[in-house]
Amino acid sequence: MTMNKNTRILTVDDSASMRALLNHALTSHGFDVAQAEDGEVALEWLALNEVDVVITDINMPRLDGFGLIERLRAGNRHRDRPILVLTTESSEEKKARARQAGATGWIVKPFDPEKLVAAVRRVSH
Amino acid sequence: MSIETPPPITPMTRINVMQGQARVSAGPRVEFSTVLGSCVATCLFDPEIEVGGMNHFLLAEPSPSSATGDFDEHYGVYLMELLINEMLANGAAKHRLRAHLYGGANLNAGFARIGARNGEFARGFLADERITVVKEDLGGVFARRVDFRPSRGQVRCRTVENTLAPDPRPTIRPSRSVGDVELF
Repeated sequence: MTMNKNTRILTVDDSASMRALLNHALTSHGFDVAQAEDGEVALEWLALNEVDVVITDINMPRLDGFGLIERLRAGNRHRDRPILVLTTESSEEKKARARQAGATGWIVKPFDPEKLVAAVRRVSH
Repeated sequence: MSIETPPPITPMTRINVMQGQARVSAGPRVEFSTVLGSCVATCLFDPEIEVGGMNHFLLAEPSPSSATGDFDEHYGVYLMELLINEMLANGAAKHRLRAHLYGGANLNAGFARIGARNGEFARGFLADERITVVKEDLGGVFARRVDFRPSRGQVRCRTVENTLAPDPRPTIRPSRSVGDVELF
């Protein structure tokens, strides 16, 4: 558990219920969790805060997950930050687009908390 | 206003929306059908592009204390998001979506009020998402059959024999890989 103590995660999802589930799944494994409701809010938060891993949805108002990844990769600050996409989208085309934008990994909902946590651990090392 | 002549022999395609599913279509000859006991079905419609979709969920959301934090197709919290995303993927705009809610009956007085909780969850979820509910027929003690024409947003809801409603327990499915992670 102690190895997770300082792993900070930002989750980006427009669904309040989804944020609650993610928050529970991640905090119960000892991660520090911050949450944003869309890409714009995430960008504002990331401009001022440090984080180890970003987990983002794709379909969101204002700035979607693709846009968020592109903006983060275009700047210096989060160019190498691990970004996991967590989405109900299962199309290969969307997955390829996320990969091209610079995503680190792709997870299709419904998510398995254990697999999610394992993925976070792998990319945050 | 012109009078449309329907194609002469195109039969109506009826698609049964099973527990744990979400379906979206713009097909003019498509009808989604489902039978609900304590389950809830959400029908979404975007009148501008004439696309509609329906989901059918068994339970609202996993209990926060659930050890595994299950987030799967039994739960409204997953199926609502799946349905909304499918609608958006088919060109719908969230602010134009109109919702109907059906089901959520408490068929058996001895059971926990799963149906009532499902209905409350669905209302709350749509309110959070700022999606307007234009019609609902929730609660009560009888099963319902819902027929929805997704390209028109038309719904017919009837009371049916409670014995026709699906079992209010999770269907046992062969184990499958859920939430697999692909690292690039």
